[in-house]
Amino acid sequence: MGSMPLSVQFIWACSILVQLIVLVLLFLKGNSRRVPFFTAYMALNVCQAGFLLVLYFIPGTSSATTISLAWVSECITLVAQALATTEILRITLKPYPGIWGLGWRALASTIVLVVMVVALTSRGQNGGERLFELNRGYHLTFATAVIACLLLVRYYSIRVPTAYKMILGGFCLNSCVEVLIYTFIQILFHKGFEVHQATWQFLTTLSFVAALAIWIVAVGKPLPVQDRQSASFSDSEYQRLAPEINEQLRQLNEKLLRLWKLEARPR
Amino acid sequence: MNLSLFLLAGFAVLLLILLVGVLREPGRHGKPENGLGFPEESGRSHATYLKQVRQAMAEADLEFLAARGSRELRLRTRKERRRIVLAYLCCLRTDFLQLWRLARVISTMSPKVGVGQELARLRLVLIFSFRYELIRVKIRFGFAPLPELGSLSEVVSRLAVRLETAMRELGERAALAAQLASSLDGRRLDAR
Repeated sequence: MGSMPLSVQFIWACSILVQLIVLVLLFLKGNSRRVPFFTAYMALNVCQAGFLLVLYFIPGTSSATTISLAWVSECITLVAQALATTEILRITLKPYPGIWGLGWRALASTIVLVVMVVALTSRGQNGGERLFELNRGYHLTFATAVIACLLLVRYYSIRVPTAYKMILGGFCLNSCVEVLIYTFIQILFHKGFEVHQATWQFLTTLSFVAALAIWIVAVGKPLPVQDRQSASFSDSEYQRLAPEINEQLRQLNEKLLRLWKLEARPR
Repeated sequence: MNLSLFLLAGFAVLLLILLVGVLREPGRHGKPENGLGFPEESGRSHATYLKQVRQAMAEADLEFLAARGSRELRLRTRKERRRIVLAYLCCLRTDFLQLWRLARVISTMSPKVGVGQELARLRLVLIFSFRYELIRVKIRFGFAPLPELGSLSEVVSRLAVRLETAMRELGERAALAAQLASSLDGRRLDAR
């Protein structure tokens, strides 16, 4: 703990305080029942902070053990983050089972694609650096998948309550900034990442505090309940109408193409 | 090494921009979306103006003006009429988009959505938008393809009529289902 710069200690303390505020608000406003996974994620973050605090204060613990345990705790919170995000998306898309079916397929394909790209571009020199690259890969995959899902929601003009948008926005903002910070540190300083660990810690915690501030506003009021009834059409109606509409749209496109060819003809 | 890092940073920035875009309220900054429904219902259907557009495109009028009036008058009339045709094409696009929105509503209300159908529609819309822009530019530069415009409007009208019939059927069925459900609830209450 003593090896940590004062600025990192300060931002860390701020982060714990804001996390506690979010957690208290979740219980006070009755939101913990509406978003149990998000509440669990916040609780896990507070637990992680406490765990790290104890870890840093135990005398005689080797640096390697501390780092390993810290990364294990980080893995647990990252899994919780993915579950909390899926929960918010599920709440938003619950009344639209067809779109949710499309959404999880989009999520799965995006995840596979980004994981492949990340695996191809990762070139960590040592174990520590590889762990940082894995962390960056996770955040990149996470942000891409969530944004793909939000694009889908936008395409179908599905209304997402502002509070849920803020929660998703906070998650994505944090992930994108994490990717940017680590990449910029790699670009600007060529000496190896461990040298700039304090800078990384300060900046990533700062971005997390920004996400927490957004969440305070989101959970400051009781979260809305999606009371819309689920799908009103039957599957066969979609099967009948969708190809018909597509066929008509295709014909319209053909007419436009003919128009284009007519114009291209030399006069 | 550096190139892949720059690409990664660029991708993260792109994600941030996309995030701002998707979280923005659609109605606040962008164009207000037209209401759902069929072009005929809005009272602004392109078909209403087809006759006038045909008249506006008639070459005979311009020939007459060239023979009897001044060249300046002919040019002015041509410019005005081109503006009308552009407005007409814009209406046609509005109708197309309205129908496309209706198709999306059908998708959101369906319990199962076909990935192939949705992707095919997305592709069609992208192609339509691209071609529409090209044609608009060409018309702006003085070419006016009347017969094709006529058939375009016919296609949009036919699609609207067919969809209206389908939607009416669906509405009737939904009302019937709701009636059935409420009568079943009533029976349950009576049984208690």
